[in-house]
Amino acid sequence: MDRGIYGPYADKLDAVLDIVIGAVKACGDSAAGPHGERRYEHIEGRVKTGESMRLKLERRGLEATAENALTAVYDAVGVRVVCRFIDDVYLMADLIARHPGIRAVERKDYIARAKENGYRSYHMIVEADTPFPGPVGGGAFYAEVQLRTIAMDTWAALEHEITYKRELSRRDLIWEELKRCADELAACDVSMQAIRDMIRESGERTDG
Amino acid sequence: MRILIAEDEDDMLDVLEAYLTLSGYETVTAKNGAEALARAREGGLDAAVMDIMMPVMDGVEALKRMREEGMDVPVLLLTAKAEVRDRVAGLDAGADDYLTKPFAMEELLARLRSLIRRGTPGTPDTVRLEEMTLDIRQGILKCVNSIALVGRETELLALLMRSTDREISEKEILSRIWRDFAGADGETLKLYVRYINGKLSSVGARFRVERRPGGMRLCREAEK
Repeated sequence: MDRGIYGPYADKLDAVLDIVIGAVKACGDSAAGPHGERRYEHIEGRVKTGESMRLKLERRGLEATAENALTAVYDAVGVRVVCRFIDDVYLMADLIARHPGIRAVERKDYIARAKENGYRSYHMIVEADTPFPGPVGGGAFYAEVQLRTIAMDTWAALEHEITYKRELSRRDLIWEELKRCADELAACDVSMQAIRDMIRESGERTDG
Repeated sequence: MRILIAEDEDDMLDVLEAYLTLSGYETVTAKNGAEALARAREGGLDAAVMDIMMPVMDGVEALKRMREEGMDVPVLLLTAKAEVRDRVAGLDAGADDYLTKPFAMEELLARLRSLIRRGTPGTPDTVRLEEMTLDIRQGILKCVNSIALVGRETELLALLMRSTDREISEKEILSRIWRDFAGADGETLKLYVRYINGKLSSVGARFRVERRPGGMRLCREAEK
């Protein structure tokens, strides 16, 4: 893999990714539900390829240096946390932000304020402490953590497919339908959260 | 189909009730305007036939109050007087049609069918409340975000958005929206209130449905 753009940090990025994923897992395991259920469905992560990083810097009008790749943009290391319920998304976000060695430097709540096209997700830029000399200062590296429900994740997969498909007939129709779908999925997420709350409340009385 | 008949003369009331029942309608009766208003508040009506000249509260006054309270049920007024002024007052108060006594029962039935067929005239497809918009036909609630609503959620939220000035009893909601479907009860409403509150929060609206012993009402969050 061509990670030349990351300069001296290139061979550390996989380890940085593991550190962030480890922290996220620890958060989820520490907050298991009343019946031991995990707060996340799955976690995935990636180091941005040298090529897409180069393109991103170019789009932003930035010089292709290791410094810029790791401190001017924040998603060289990216982690996605997919949860079952909306409440779990917010719970995980809070736990991650408070986890030792992790600091949230920016949060964007696209669930409370969905993007125009219907995209919903909770984005957080974090600074993660590592044992390596980092580009931020101390041993810190930036990483982007995206948290969302399974429904939001499936929707985003479709959106990604449309965005990167060059030849597409009836693009307008597909976008319109995808927007409607986003509203329906959001409705489903809310309904399932409400039903879970109701079950939990009546369970509190009988579980003892 | 449930029809309210408001008429103070017993003979006339009996005849109307008999004809409407025979024609397959379910009937609810009232003997004066105040009773008519009380029956209308219980909800679940598809149309109302109301006499203008009634004791305690006349038909025009009862109709005016029904409209003020946001009830949009189609109303056919009956008038004994052939006075233009009466009919104008009735139509201005929100009547959808009128008949002058004496009338042929066939005509009353035909006019009633026509009113019900037309549905509630003037009922808009969207309800707005400050920053919120509910598209009733599409079942989409919009504020900062948008979200889909399903059948009864749409009806319930539309009712609540139109009646922020009063508390709506569970009985009225079950009768108007669940049309007294036997499986629906207070627990059903509790769950629907959760759905709606979740969706209001999801679109970034500052309103929430509050449940109180007397019923429910849509309130600004700050009012809690």
